[in-house]
Amino acid sequence: MSIALYRVDDRLIHGQVVVGWGKPLNARFIVLVDDSVRSSDQEQELYRMGVPPDIEVVFASTAEARQRLSEWERDPRTGILVFGDIDTLAALAANGHGVSRVNVGGLHHRPGRSERLRYVYLSDGEAVKLKALAAQGVEVTAQDVPTTRPVPLEDFT
Amino acid sequence: MSPPAVLQVMLLVWGTLVGLDLVSVPQAMIARPIVAGPIAGAILGDVATGLQLGVLFELFQYDILPVGAVRYPEYGPATIAAVSAAHAGAGTLGFGLGAVVGLITAMAGGASLQVIRRLNTRAVHRAAAALETGEPRVLARLHIAGILRDAARAAVVTALGLALAQLARDYLVGTVWSRGRVLLSVAAVGVALAAGTAGTLRLVGRGPGLRWFAAGLVGGAAVVWLR
Amino acid sequence: MTTPARPPLGRSLLRLFTVQGSWNYERMQGIGMGVAEQPLIRDLDGNGTAYHAAVARAAHFFNAHPYLCGLAVGATARAEHDGVPPQQVERLRTALCGPLGALGDRLVWAGWLPLTSGLALIGVALGLGLWAIFGFLIVYNIGHVALRWWALRAGWAYGGQVATALREPVLQRAATLSAPAMALVAGVALPLVVHYLTGGFLSWTRAVLAVVAAGGFVLLRWQRARLTGLRFGLVLLALAALIGWFWQ
Repeated sequence: MSIALYRVDDRLIHGQVVVGWGKPLNARFIVLVDDSVRSSDQEQELYRMGVPPDIEVVFASTAEARQRLSEWERDPRTGILVFGDIDTLAALAANGHGVSRVNVGGLHHRPGRSERLRYVYLSDGEAVKLKALAAQGVEVTAQDVPTTRPVPLEDFT
Repeated sequence: MSPPAVLQVMLLVWGTLVGLDLVSVPQAMIARPIVAGPIAGAILGDVATGLQLGVLFELFQYDILPVGAVRYPEYGPATIAAVSAAHAGAGTLGFGLGAVVGLITAMAGGASLQVIRRLNTRAVHRAAAALETGEPRVLARLHIAGILRDAARAAVVTALGLALAQLARDYLVGTVWSRGRVLLSVAAVGVALAAGTAGTLRLVGRGPGLRWFAAGLVGGAAVVWLR
Repeated sequence: MTTPARPPLGRSLLRLFTVQGSWNYERMQGIGMGVAEQPLIRDLDGNGTAYHAAVARAAHFFNAHPYLCGLAVGATARAEHDGVPPQQVERLRTALCGPLGALGDRLVWAGWLPLTSGLALIGVALGLGLWAIFGFLIVYNIGHVALRWWALRAGWAYGGQVATALREPVLQRAATLSAPAMALVAGVALPLVVHYLTGGFLSWTRAVLAVVAAGGFVLLRWQRARLTGLRFGLVLLALAALIGWFWQ
């Protein structure tokens, strides 16, 4: 079934991912791509605690994710890939890697960012990067949970 | 017939507490329709209608994806308003009247939550520099203002719902044709069952939970049959 | 290191019951978290610079399950007392957001709450009346208050090592069992609720009701991103009123 959802979310794995998307997609594995979490055993343990035991959690750095993306895409199980920022997304999508659609699920307030949707705050630089990805053929939409309508990129950048 | 003013005030106070419980204080689940409705019924001396509307709106509540920070309608004060409306059109026919009033109130309640969150956001944004000084009084002031805003919001939503109930009692009860009232009630119960089942299945998922759900269905059906 | 012998956990717990009172899109639960953490860090550095800096940090962006916020409040307050560097305290808060949200949503919103409210529905359908409602409130809130209290105490006890607290066997077992228990109770409740709500309808209306419920279910499943129970309900009620108007 491969990766059913590529999601940018600065809270990484939380309720919207596990219950909101995980249940209807019947996700059997979640890949968390984050360099800081990858280097911290304690943080990895925290994220594992939030996920039911029958769902595998894989932790990867950005570099590891780029190498293993095709492997996860071939996995017969349904998976979700989560990362915390647009730079990681850009790195994964670079050089023709197989990211064709991206869900912007939650990027919250930080100095320099302004509100685009109630759950999406972006700096101008981040908005430009998303548009550049769209120009490369990546379908970018914002949608926090499956029970809401996906918002096209042009409506929030 | 309208409830006496003292009962209307009691419903307004109950609705305010229920609305406050949903998000702000203390999330003890008196905001669930299954609680808000029967207590409203008890206030009006009509527990049976309160229970019926409580069950009906609890099914609508199951339609909401229960995860943090999402948008949703507010069914607590809505159920209180629904009970107030249905109290006049007793029996099964009360479902339709109650649902009309309750669903409109729920929509208004959901929208009002967004307004409050926007007002809170604006207040927090304005106080950003003061918050960085770490002065506890700034925090306390913002927090208490947020709670008071939500209490006022809950009171306004409940008042709106009770006003709608009053209109329904004055203009619909007795003038709405019996077939129309039956159809309204059929629509209300049908949609509630559809929404409750769809929402529950979304929560159960397609994994092993589905087998437990099926086993429960068989057990529940057996109990119905045996009764 | 200024760890108080008897931290005012009770006061912090009371404030945690209001943790979402000032919920906003910018800091989400941040302000409420700061208000709840403040009693625990009050005697930090004699109310000086460290104290104010810690209060400011405590009010930064945060969002997790409200019943488990105490874990982050306790853990960060303890870390502040233990002299953990500010950046690490911030990192701890950030790292707790997602896991506490995921665990709480699974355990409470998708487990304990629908499980106990499903039991209340069963109770009402079986004729227990208000007793079913009071039973629900008592049973649900025993779990609710116990979870809030455990979270705050565990956070304070473990500080930066808070992952150890989440390994608590009772918590893990509850998280594992809540989903199947909820599914079973929801399954039992559904036929009983159908029987309870449709008991007063005549035979032909029951047939119409079955069509509405089945059709509505399919529609809501099919159009889940566009159609909600509320919208569908309002449209169908308007339609029913219109048909009733012409069919007098």
